[in-house]
Amino acid sequence: MCMRFKLPNVTEMNDWIAIGALALVGVLIPLGMMAVSYLLRPSVPETSKRATYESGEIPTGDTRVRFNIQYYMVALLFLIFDIETVLLFPWAVVYLDAVESDAVSLLEILGPMVLFVTILLVGLAWAWRKGAVQWAQTPRQVETEHNRP
Amino acid sequence: MSGATTPSLFPLQNGGDPVLLPEHITELTGLGQFGLAGELLATFVAAFIVGNFILAMTGVAGPWAKRKITASFTDRIAVNHLGPGGIGIIIADAVRLLAKENIIPENVDRPAYDLAPIVIAGSAMLGFAVIPMGSGIHLADPEVGLAFVFAVAGIASIGLVMAGYASGNKYSLLGGLRAVAQNVAYEIPLVVTGMSVVLFAGSLQMSEIVAVQNETTLFTIPGLEWAVPAWFALVNPFAFVLFLIANFAEVGRNPFDMPEAPAELIAGYQTEYSSVYFVLVYLGEFLHIFLGGAIIATIFLGGPAGPGPDELGILWFTLKIWGVFFLTQWLRSAVPRVRIDQLIEIGWKGLLVLSFANLGLTAAIVGVIA
Repeated sequence: MCMRFKLPNVTEMNDWIAIGALALVGVLIPLGMMAVSYLLRPSVPETSKRATYESGEIPTGDTRVRFNIQYYMVALLFLIFDIETVLLFPWAVVYLDAVESDAVSLLEILGPMVLFVTILLVGLAWAWRKGAVQWAQTPRQVETEHNRP
Repeated sequence: MSGATTPSLFPLQNGGDPVLLPEHITELTGLGQFGLAGELLATFVAAFIVGNFILAMTGVAGPWAKRKITASFTDRIAVNHLGPGGIGIIIADAVRLLAKENIIPENVDRPAYDLAPIVIAGSAMLGFAVIPMGSGIHLADPEVGLAFVFAVAGIASIGLVMAGYASGNKYSLLGGLRAVAQNVAYEIPLVVTGMSVVLFAGSLQMSEIVAVQNETTLFTIPGLEWAVPAWFALVNPFAFVLFLIANFAEVGRNPFDMPEAPAELIAGYQTEYSSVYFVLVYLGEFLHIFLGGAIIATIFLGGPAGPGPDELGILWFTLKIWGVFFLTQWLRSAVPRVRIDQLIEIGWKGLLVLSFANLGLTAAIVGVIA
């Protein structure tokens, strides 16, 4: 027997129609509030008012500055672990059924996933040793901490 | 429903009792007789009711409850002029904030700057679609419920980056980046700990997770004959504590409120927002606290279950999520903020490892018992 793809019919879709309706409401309510505010609020244009806030000083330099590499390393780690959680979810859902049936042993259900998680945790340990999950400190910061009483 | 020829959104109506809110609305208003269009309208009305219920709760929490709770902790009185206990401040504040001039700084990136508040507020509201709130208030119940709610809650990070980057302000940029570094560090412990609940329940469907918790009896209190339901917070308190901590970091509350640490970053990503935009960003944050509370209530505290008849469900559910909200305000008054380097280390070196240990142990225990 061959497998065929079947389009979900309308009765199976009702959950997602309801979710779509809430998504629409979730956009319409903010838009409605913006409309009300538009009718209520005054507009008093003034040049210095629209300056970027920098504690009352005149802003210096460009905003899109270079920032700490830490954010980038952590994001790479996240990508790996996030995909892992996606792969773990189906396993977690069928786990109870698989354990309760006598067809497969516990080792067969648990083993592969433990191996999979272990490989990733080895990766985390490596990143840990390399200092990727350690917030880098500038030499000046280290010095101040060293001199602290 | 007459005959099988009419397409209907709610096939269950023919057999059992209505389960979800759109069906209740269809039955109550008689919109079902208009066929598919009537049912679509009923679904929209249901979504509107759910959205406004959540919004009303945030309305009470933001301008009033938060001030009152913080004042009690710090031995002050707070708002007390308008109405009983100062509750009228909700209306006064709503009018005040919406009637403010909307100052848009020169250096902002226009479309992103305008869209960010909608993304932040809308994404949090969308998460409530799959939460069973009791008393028949449950908008949708897809099989992937839990995965959906985590996915939708994660969209907020995009809104925060948009707000932070598009504002063209250094404080905003740093606030937005911190928010993402934080969400990224705590999202995985959150999801992995939530997964240990799935191991018990054997399903991602929210109604199923709630049912499993309340069908089983953990133990009976001797002498009183009270059956204690197997709420997952009682079955696995370790996972509950892990989830609570990861949740506070995820929604950016104390002690993890780095992204908007006022002493360092003015107001983080919301520095350049005023008027209705500020309201929406602020609202989105409160919606996220409540969404976090709703997830905790659903997967750890038995959802809308409680003593008394089923009709009281919404009351118990509201009580549970306000309990979580109260806890966030308590921590706000009692716990100092962590530094950004500590925050990253707590997440990656502490919670992540602990959450995997929890998952492995839970799997082993479930496997041995079954």
